[in-house]
Amino acid sequence: MEYFIFRNSTIENIFGNNNVSYSGYNEIQSFDAGANVYVWLYLLPIANDKASLLLEIESYFERIQLVSKQIPSNSLFLLFTLQEIQGLKYQHNDFSVTKAISNFNNNITNFALEHDNVKAIDISEFTRNYNNIQLIDWKYYFTSKMILNPRLASPFASWFYKQLEKIQFIRKKCLVLDLDNTIWGGILAEDGIEGIKIGGDYPGNAFLNFQQNLIELTKIGVILAVCSKNNEQDVLDAWEKNPYIILKKEHFAAYRINWNNKAENIKELALELNIGLESMVFVDDNPAERELVKQLLPAVEVPDFPAHPYLLPPFFSSLLQNYFSVYALTEEDKRKTEQYRANQQRVNEKQNFSDFSSYLKSLETEINIEKASKFNIQRIAQLTQKTNQFNLTSKRYNEVDIQKLIADNDFVYCISAKDKFGDSGISGALIIKKTTATEVEIDSLLLSCRILGKNIEFAFVNKMLGELKKQGITKVSASYLPSPKNMQVSDFYEKLGFQLLEENEALKSYILDLQNTDLKETEHIKIQIQ
Amino acid sequence: MKNRLLGVFSKAFNIANVDETISQRNCEKWDSLNHINLVVEIENEFDISIEPEEFDEMKDFRSIEKIVLSKLNN
Repeated sequence: MEYFIFRNSTIENIFGNNNVSYSGYNEIQSFDAGANVYVWLYLLPIANDKASLLLEIESYFERIQLVSKQIPSNSLFLLFTLQEIQGLKYQHNDFSVTKAISNFNNNITNFALEHDNVKAIDISEFTRNYNNIQLIDWKYYFTSKMILNPRLASPFASWFYKQLEKIQFIRKKCLVLDLDNTIWGGILAEDGIEGIKIGGDYPGNAFLNFQQNLIELTKIGVILAVCSKNNEQDVLDAWEKNPYIILKKEHFAAYRINWNNKAENIKELALELNIGLESMVFVDDNPAERELVKQLLPAVEVPDFPAHPYLLPPFFSSLLQNYFSVYALTEEDKRKTEQYRANQQRVNEKQNFSDFSSYLKSLETEINIEKASKFNIQRIAQLTQKTNQFNLTSKRYNEVDIQKLIADNDFVYCISAKDKFGDSGISGALIIKKTTATEVEIDSLLLSCRILGKNIEFAFVNKMLGELKKQGITKVSASYLPSPKNMQVSDFYEKLGFQLLEENEALKSYILDLQNTDLKETEHIKIQIQ
Repeated sequence: MKNRLLGVFSKAFNIANVDETISQRNCEKWDSLNHINLVVEIENEFDISIEPEEFDEMKDFRSIEKIVLSKLNN
């Protein structure tokens, strides 16, 4: 750590010369541009002429503003308040110096509130432990221009470094939360409003405790936001209808509940809340989402999520300690959530991630496509029953139905995916019916939402279309049947290049001319067919 | 007393080995800032007050020893 100190008296005896450089006395023209921390440590000058003392004090704040514009804005700038240690009062009703000092102190404390990198340090926290005879030793003032008694150098230095520790712990402003398996147990889209685990027995009580703690955070001015892959309406319903969820819509200053990539959503949240990414912390139980955000938004803090709900209390306490602990709580802090909500502006502009593909690459995703067999039929049937969101036709099958399809020579495939974070197991299925010798129809296409967002869906379908092409299939028809939960895939076939034939409230039907279609391989995903 | 004074030098200058030959001329660390540190440490250690007029006389171990002794004997 390199320090540069603006000063008006001799203080080298306090901070030494290792990693610390000093301005000239009262000088602001030249300074070390490479310091990490800049300090304004002016002690109230010793002056007999009150008028010039007043002018001097008045000039300090202007000088600070000038300096602040010139030092790097990401360097910490610490401002010491002024305090009257020694002063001669010729007139007892003359408060002009006291007022000038308190003006200065007000100015710098406000300035610190307006600038994230500026912090004010109240020097009276140190000086109150001493009387004014101890604080100044005139011998050293006259011989060495030391305003602070050199005997206090070492207690002053250790007090200063303690303040610095507290301050450098720059508090984060916003906690961005995932929902499923993060603030409640289970998956809303699968388990339903009543089925998610919140309140009651374990693990619901552990999630409830987490929610209670999060509500306390809002009271110390931390802004909460949601970033969740869900249908917005489902979540709004859950907030409204599940009485055990105590962390409600009104606790959140903003939310992004959709199927976009989370890094993009968090960027939008930052714009909407008008805060920097470096003041955000992202909490999600899914390691792949955490990794995405870590890679695309390195400024955002992304702590690991505990493996068990009963570990949420120590997790919360580490959040508090590492990011949100308060060294000064202002009224403004307490009102912040309200303010941010009031200022809320939807920022619709989508940001493009030029390096989304490098994220995908880093995941080292591999997918494995298998024909249905007695080992996986049960799981395929279960997937058709449970999968709501990424499900193009929402047709439900049981094991017997699946066996019948296989017996009819239809194609039934399932997919499993793994990446560097783990193996998802069988988490998707594709059922294709032969209509003629050269034509097929996609009967069902579904993927569990835990493997979405990594382009697996495109890799999977394109690969299968390629296989069909090899087998001499020329035309593929497909349809999208809207359900209350599958809006996210309403344009999936368009994205794949299918041609829309018909569209009405209950159906979109498509055709793909396979012979004249170039099937793109999806980058960064390895595919195997067994 | 000599050892106490040597200890003060070593503390003020933050150096391990100090002997009676130390002087402003042969000790790199003995700059104007450390000179003040030395005075403060001596005042603390022996509970005496050194006057500004004496600061400039304090050029080596012998001269300082002489000043300290004279104050202790008073």
